[in-house]
Amino acid sequence: MKKLKEKAQAQKKHRAILLFSSLLLGAMIVAQAYFIVTIVDRIFLQGASVSELLPEFGGLLLVLLGRGLFTYINGRTGVRMASIVKKEFRAELLAKFRRNPMQASLKGQSGEKVSVMMDSIDEIEAFYTKYYPQMIQTTFVPIIILIAVFSVNWVSGLTMVITAPFIPIFMIIIGQKTQKKSEEQMEKLAAFSGRFLDTLQGLSTLKYFGRSKEQLEGIRESSINYREATMDVLKIAFLSTLMMEFVSMLSMAIIALEVGLRLVIYNQLSFFTAFFVLVLAPEYYTSLKELGSAFHAGRGSTGAANRVTSELEQEEQPVEWGDNRLLGSDSPPSIEFKRVGFTYGEGSFALKEISAEIAPFKEVAIVGKSGAGKTTFLHLLSGLVSPSEGEIIVDGRPIFSYQESAWFDQIGYISQNPYLFSGTIAENIAVGGTSQSTRAEIVIASEKAGIAELVEGLDDGYDTFVGEGGRGLSGGEKQRVALARAFLKMPSVVIFDEPTVGLDLQTERILQRSIKELAKGSTIITVAHRLHTIKNADQILFLAEGSLVASGTHEDLVTQVPEYAEMVAVQQGGDAS
Amino acid sequence: MKELGIVVKLVMKEKKDVFYSILFGFLAGMATVSLFANSGYLISKAAVTPPLYVLTVSIALLKLFSVTRALTRYAERYYSHRATFTILSNLRVHFFERLEPLVPGIFQKYRSGDLLSRIVGDVESLQNFFLRVYYPPIVMIIVFLSTIAFTMYFSVEVAIVLILGLILTGVIVPGWFAWKRKNIESKLRVQRGELSTETTEFLYGFLDLKIHQKQKEKEQQLTNASNSYIEEQERDGVRGLFNHSVNQMVSLTVSWFILVIGGYLVSAGQLDGVFLAMLVMISLTVFENSTPMAVFPSHYEDSRLAASRLFSVVGGQKQDTNKSSEKPKELKQLDNRDAWTIEMENVSFAFPDEKRLALDNVSLNFPAGSKTAIVGPSGSGKSTLLQLLLKVYEASKGNVRLQGESIDQIENKSVWKGTNIVLQHNHFFYGTIRDNLLIAGDELTDEAMLQALGKVQLGKFALDDRVLEHGQNLSGGEKQRLAIARVILKGSRLWLLDEPTSSVDALTESIIFQHLLEQAKEDTLILISHRLTGLEQMDRIIVMEHGKMIESGTFSELMDKKGYFYEMKQIEKSVFT
Repeated sequence: MKKLKEKAQAQKKHRAILLFSSLLLGAMIVAQAYFIVTIVDRIFLQGASVSELLPEFGGLLLVLLGRGLFTYINGRTGVRMASIVKKEFRAELLAKFRRNPMQASLKGQSGEKVSVMMDSIDEIEAFYTKYYPQMIQTTFVPIIILIAVFSVNWVSGLTMVITAPFIPIFMIIIGQKTQKKSEEQMEKLAAFSGRFLDTLQGLSTLKYFGRSKEQLEGIRESSINYREATMDVLKIAFLSTLMMEFVSMLSMAIIALEVGLRLVIYNQLSFFTAFFVLVLAPEYYTSLKELGSAFHAGRGSTGAANRVTSELEQEEQPVEWGDNRLLGSDSPPSIEFKRVGFTYGEGSFALKEISAEIAPFKEVAIVGKSGAGKTTFLHLLSGLVSPSEGEIIVDGRPIFSYQESAWFDQIGYISQNPYLFSGTIAENIAVGGTSQSTRAEIVIASEKAGIAELVEGLDDGYDTFVGEGGRGLSGGEKQRVALARAFLKMPSVVIFDEPTVGLDLQTERILQRSIKELAKGSTIITVAHRLHTIKNADQILFLAEGSLVASGTHEDLVTQVPEYAEMVAVQQGGDAS
Repeated sequence: MKELGIVVKLVMKEKKDVFYSILFGFLAGMATVSLFANSGYLISKAAVTPPLYVLTVSIALLKLFSVTRALTRYAERYYSHRATFTILSNLRVHFFERLEPLVPGIFQKYRSGDLLSRIVGDVESLQNFFLRVYYPPIVMIIVFLSTIAFTMYFSVEVAIVLILGLILTGVIVPGWFAWKRKNIESKLRVQRGELSTETTEFLYGFLDLKIHQKQKEKEQQLTNASNSYIEEQERDGVRGLFNHSVNQMVSLTVSWFILVIGGYLVSAGQLDGVFLAMLVMISLTVFENSTPMAVFPSHYEDSRLAASRLFSVVGGQKQDTNKSSEKPKELKQLDNRDAWTIEMENVSFAFPDEKRLALDNVSLNFPAGSKTAIVGPSGSGKSTLLQLLLKVYEASKGNVRLQGESIDQIENKSVWKGTNIVLQHNHFFYGTIRDNLLIAGDELTDEAMLQALGKVQLGKFALDDRVLEHGQNLSGGEKQRLAIARVILKGSRLWLLDEPTSSVDALTESIIFQHLLEQAKEDTLILISHRLTGLEQMDRIIVMEHGKMIESGTFSELMDKKGYFYEMKQIEKSVFT
């Protein structure tokens, strides 16, 4: 809640508007009471006619309209404030994700982060649209009413002052109780409400087992249990409203009794004063009670804000680029790892002390079991994450001393699961090129990547929509799109994560052929899963448990590194089966 | 409107709670009006020094009204929420009943995986229907009419103004805003969708964006999407406020008119001045009952959209279900004690909205008791073939016959009953291992279940072990093995297995297959396999590509032939995992 308040206080202008219109709103409420009471008093007791009271009637009409207007302004300001804060938070989150991107996807938390970006930020809204304006209103309106009441009858004023604290006190006591209770129920509630979705999702399975009809009772039962659990929580909330109602009622009764007695028995008060106090008293207590419901609405926002802040406060390993240009453009850069280590935090190294050299135009294969750190190696090599230890030297200088664009212009990355953006196939391939890529260039790239035939067979050809809401492509097809991207770009360093499963023959052949083609003008670094790739490599980096165990050609490693020889033997043993 | 009719029917099932909600809502509304009317009367009466008993009675009434108000409000809230949750339960059950016959076919029609969560969300949002749309207007109208009848006794003119006020604030203003609001909801939804897509692409596609330096562009798109979504939310919020404020101003203006008319009548001697304050208090209070009408349009529109979305899911296929229910007697039952023969004759199939044939003129025979493996790249039509056998789809051309009987003449349930199905993704329910196994049959003993677990190498599981939603606490391989255990327990005699062990290691896989083949010795078995190992034991291997069968034969026949299968085998041999 603190963070949200800070954000609210930072908006000085909007805060000033809220303060100002709350003050005026209070004034309107008092003026409304004044005019109504005056008019009734004059007509009823002093026998005045409507025409004599035209100024009062006019004033009352203005005040009534003013009341609506200031309520509107207050609400509108809250909505504006919410928009600004939501924009700020989204921008901060975006900046955070930009600085710290790979960690998220490496830890498989992308889904969570999407939800923070969407839902949590939307939930923050209630704090500014409901809670904050109401809080300011409740700070001022009762005070103004009190001043008005004190000025005509201090006894009633005093009663109001004394009774007022009971409302927040009750609110807090009951609020705490509800929170505990609702926290207790939370798990239960989640289980009950999840049951329906669970059953729907499993409906095919149930039908195959001939069990679907029986689920009806289960759904009914869990729904009713859900109802009971929810009602338990709600009953307390309703009870708290009831108590508050009783408190304010009792207070109003005391005030009514006081003004009544003094009006009738002691003749100490005029009708005007008594009526004035009686009209204002409910306004006073209503305003206090409203804070309660606003507080409730604001509390949901606090949870959401906590999620956003904890996301923002996550440790980061930012990647900062320099402004050196890359040297020779006709030859791929030389790359050297100098005692490079990488950790995701908590001291557990994904890679440690890797030292290796990759000369231009070489075909390098990275080999190791799953979890050996191969993908992390690729991420480091491509400059997507920065090493926790050591450094990567490119053409004699640290990689991060270069311009970001200069470096990435050299890189092609074909991952196992390339991402398709929602858009046409042509747009997806064009991602690899500059914005000026022509359709002809895209078609040539597609042909080289062996996807042209497939694309042209589609009704809309290159204009077929893919990605979210579009046509789905298979894993092999996606990799071919990624290849087409690479052909469009013609990078001097190609990073390739070879598929771990056998694809269809056609894709296998295309992949081999394409990599060979790309290799003519570039260095190729492959996380290799195929024996022929490994055998053909100029250099093999053999990783195990985050360390570089050995490096050399296949023949070197088979003879010199028992672990490697064993791995190959197991693979070829598997062959026999 | 039509769709909401069904919801109304479900609401009416809870007559008692509905009745109590309206009754107590009415009493609470009337108590409030009476409370303020009485206090206005009391104070006026007090001013003209009445006999003491009038005051005493009035004060007693005042107490009575306030206690009644507080208690009836509580009761109203209690019953209306109880009703709401009961209705929610009815809705779920009703919807489930309508959806159940359409599964699994309907899941193929709606490809997007979030269909089910949308359904759950829509059902959930219909809880506002009773609470905000259905009963508040009823309460409002009854309270208004009673109040108007009461004021009629004092002044017909005032009553007429109240009627006008009711029409304005209860019908015209909300109606006008409802009409203006019509397109907004869908616009918000679209913009939210856009933002969600951009965020997802930014996070999931980060690697490709970064490498191809499209990240800045995407950030800009994301920011734009966020801003226009926020602006639309703001517009929506401000519109709602405006609506609310206009309603408030109109009702205050009506009170003003009543004061003018009342004042005039008093001066003209047509109304006793002692009632003037009372009438003003009445009109100020009674309009509180029309406040819920300010949110009526948005809730009405939400409910209408939710209902029409829901029933478009289950309603669209109504004809199909009718068709099958018209002639249920013609459908045949197969004896599930026999091992079935399956024949496919010139079968072709294309997915809805796709020109490409997923199955292209396939003719296959699966004799009773035969063991067949189907292999081929992803997208070659293997799974589609199984789906035709499961009656998830109907063949566009050609015949599928079970036991010589055309499959569309056989009842779905009979097919499913006789089949042991393991799909690529199998659903597990929240509960225990035992719960999930018992789906296969109620009479299963713990012994039998433990034995089945043993066969799939899950001996480490106890029957009471927890299974979370979607089996998210189980690994991929454990889920697959649990699914196999489940069909082992089902014990039907046609086995349809779609890559049942793709996440299980080779050794465990072969042990499980020995058990399976043992149990299925006399049964018909079709196995879609992603691996080419262990297929020597099959009677026949079918190789598919692009929806066609391109090779078939025993393992050794295919290897000798040195065709497609042989080449795939060579690649598989060279792939390291």
